[in-house]
Amino acid sequence: MQGALMLVTFLPFVFLAVALIVDKERSLAAAAISSAVSMAILIYITVFSSINATESFSYISIIPISFTLRLSPASFMLLIMSYIVLIAASIAGNHERQSQKLAASLILLLQVAASGLFLSGNLFLYFIFWDVGVVSSFFFLYSLGSPQRGPAAMKFLIYEMFASVFLLLGIITIYFGTPVHSFNIAYIAAHAASIPVASQITVFVLLAVAFLTNMGIFPLHFWLPDAYTEASTQGSMVLSAILSKFGAFGIFLLFAILPAGAELAKYIALLGGISAFYAAFLMMSHKDIKRVMSYTSIMEMGIILIGLSSLNVIGTYGAIYAMLAHGLTIALMFLAAGSMVHVFGTRDIRTLAGMVSNAKAAAYSFLLSTFAATGLPLTTGFIADLLIFIGAYSAFGILGVVPLLAIVLFGAYMYFAIEKSVLSTKKESVAVARTSNGQAFGYALLVGSILLFGMFPFLLLGLVKI
Amino acid sequence: MYSISIGYVIIALIALIPIGATAGLFAKRKKAWFYTSATLLVTIALLSLFLLAYQASFTLLQIFRFYPFSELMTAVFAFLLIAIDALSYEYSADFISFSLFFGLSITGMLLVVMANSLITLLIGLELMGVPTVFMILAHGRRHIEAAIKLFVLSALAISLLAFAIALVSVYNPTLSISAALEASPLASTGVLLPLAIVLFAAALLTEAAAFPFNLWVPDVYEGAPGHVTAMLAGINKKVAFVALIEVFFSMILYFGYAFQPIFVLLSVATMFFGNLVALVQTNVKRMMAYSSISQAGYILVGISASTAAGLSSSIFYMIAHAVMIIGAFTVIIWLDGKNIRTVNEYSGVWSKNPLAAFSLTVFMLSMIGVPPLIGFIGKFLLFSSAVGANLLYLAFLGIINSVISVYYYARVILSMYAGRRYERKVRMADIVSVVVITMLVVTFAFGIFPGPLMHATSLAGNSVISAWPAPGAP
Repeated sequence: MQGALMLVTFLPFVFLAVALIVDKERSLAAAAISSAVSMAILIYITVFSSINATESFSYISIIPISFTLRLSPASFMLLIMSYIVLIAASIAGNHERQSQKLAASLILLLQVAASGLFLSGNLFLYFIFWDVGVVSSFFFLYSLGSPQRGPAAMKFLIYEMFASVFLLLGIITIYFGTPVHSFNIAYIAAHAASIPVASQITVFVLLAVAFLTNMGIFPLHFWLPDAYTEASTQGSMVLSAILSKFGAFGIFLLFAILPAGAELAKYIALLGGISAFYAAFLMMSHKDIKRVMSYTSIMEMGIILIGLSSLNVIGTYGAIYAMLAHGLTIALMFLAAGSMVHVFGTRDIRTLAGMVSNAKAAAYSFLLSTFAATGLPLTTGFIADLLIFIGAYSAFGILGVVPLLAIVLFGAYMYFAIEKSVLSTKKESVAVARTSNGQAFGYALLVGSILLFGMFPFLLLGLVKI
Repeated sequence: MYSISIGYVIIALIALIPIGATAGLFAKRKKAWFYTSATLLVTIALLSLFLLAYQASFTLLQIFRFYPFSELMTAVFAFLLIAIDALSYEYSADFISFSLFFGLSITGMLLVVMANSLITLLIGLELMGVPTVFMILAHGRRHIEAAIKLFVLSALAISLLAFAIALVSVYNPTLSISAALEASPLASTGVLLPLAIVLFAAALLTEAAAFPFNLWVPDVYEGAPGHVTAMLAGINKKVAFVALIEVFFSMILYFGYAFQPIFVLLSVATMFFGNLVALVQTNVKRMMAYSSISQAGYILVGISASTAAGLSSSIFYMIAHAVMIIGAFTVIIWLDGKNIRTVNEYSGVWSKNPLAAFSLTVFMLSMIGVPPLIGFIGKFLLFSSAVGANLLYLAFLGIINSVISVYYYARVILSMYAGRRYERKVRMADIVSVVVITMLVVTFAFGIFPGPLMHATSLAGNSVISAWPAPGAP
């Protein structure tokens, strides 16, 4: 099936042409179909070929760089999550019906970036798709966000470019470190042991700075709350669900590639823990619903980081599963919040009272996403947190489990806030919201996936041979 | 050999350009001369590419030297000069008299590229510089300041160069371009040769606008008419770099790493100066002048690496930057003609002309180094060569500069898509949009499929190194 992964990666360009030709009402549908088709092809490859499919084409012969794509259980899970979120975002996310063609094109570009990045078997390609993702997210944020988006977009671009140049330098350094200079991830992983430890550490630090910035880990997170808050609903969904996974997936690769990373794992875990608590505390001082959710994202990313740096199979795959869970959850949260903000015209949590009486779908989806984020059983969050903390306990002992307290804090605050606002029936809401078919589909898709992968984790985890 | 006859044909065609322009002065057929000159340039470019394909290497009449480096640069400059020619056709007040100076300037440029002796180099640089002054002056009195500044600076550079050549002639009267190198065994015997080297560096870096010889750049770029600015930034400066590489690279290799710290320092200082000053500019043309100073610093990164890979990447980035800056200036001067000059005035350009906004965005993203654009490949190769030459810190400072530059490029980009909305779209003149689209296509094409250009630049780089095998090289 040579060429199938290539097709998955570049298929969106075909739909991009379609989206630009058809009238603007249908352009977002083209984006959704593109994700659905890619997902179907990917599942077909997994079922009928192999979860470890690899493809290689010659690209630049003089260096040499080949166009290598490889599928793995981790990339499969992340891709499934990305496609579900992209479908939901394109169909349900655009409440305002603004600039639909532009939104569709950017979603399709992000699909290219996500597919290429998660599938890339070559660090050079990884970097290219990384930057394609960053630039299209930047335009997503900048051209479709709230009226105060300007400074947030600038901050986003500068931080992300900072990350991407570190990434570039790290990739170049690792290239010259390998015995036969190569960008191929499999080759580097096989020969990394022969790289001197000092230069491994240099590479690790350079790349970690890039990845942690992208994930929004303390103290490199300052762009994140602004960007997520000021983006449009669709923008927040794809930024938080997909773009932040670029960095998380990078950390996963980094630990897989560099053996010397094990020495630094505890520091990375520490950063994750600090980040989780920092976000959980800071969240409480905010009243802006989207800003609160961006801190949720920072917290979740911290937890994921702890799972990745536990360096055992359970913790690592817990973290990958948490990335899937976080992607679906945060997308649902931003979708519900976006619709509330659209109805009420404000982002202040206190004014959302009475939501449940008029916009049931949004209110209950929001509630479910909060449950999932706090790790309630039967949701994906439970499986993820369980695996992560088992992994963290075996790696760091009792200290590894402390960050659970951050989740508890977050849960306490969120349940309290939701009870006072969204679920409160004391005040009859004046705003009237009609849930359109598209939105209903979006909620159903995300809620369904959260429950499906929460109840039947073996669907995806069965792919991993532990 | 066919290739030698082709060499003669190329030289004859180059000579035809100023001769034809002189004839055009009497015929006064604007359009006819434009097409003729464009055809001449295309032919020159294609013939040079043909020679490059066969990696022909020979000297002609003792003063011209054809080898992959000169063939590649001749082809690139000839193609880019067509763009400048098209812009001048659109914008210059008196195209016919402009083309006379332009034709002389073209001859000078290509002479420098093909130079085999220091005298050819000197004449070429002079022939390139002086008519440029008149090209600026031809557009009226308000450009006089820029013209005088450029004149004084190029006169200074030329006289420094002449003095340096005179000093070298003491050691080696043949004045072939490798004279400095051939003289170097005598270097320890006196101060004259080191002095000559310093003077060479000063002269060529002034033309190339590297720190600290760059103070003339912003005023001249801002004051000169747009299409001349595009030529100054896109081509004249690159010609100076070609001369720098021709004169210095063999010396760098010969003296081992004695030169490296100097070039590293120059490169870092140039990048930081250009980028930091560009941060506070409000006039976009001036900002691009500082940006082009910083880009000269990136080109110096590859030269400092002092390896074949470094040289090839410098050549690649030179070509990439020439394409990007000519494209960017084409948009900027079009907007300049609509009285849109400062960053604030750029607001809403998207609604005025989507092509202008989109292409300027692409050129600026390319200068930042975003894939899959030509600038990314260039920076990737440059920083790779620096890391490969154990200059990790230089690569690090380079990427820090890339981050700094994001701010000022992004300010322009952000401004174009926000704010004011124009009611009416304004079309570009056809010829201008052809130039913009061509540069856009090149930026994307060599960004996505860099293979052919990388192959050509590495041929060119290796040919420079093998041209003058350093005696007792390190």
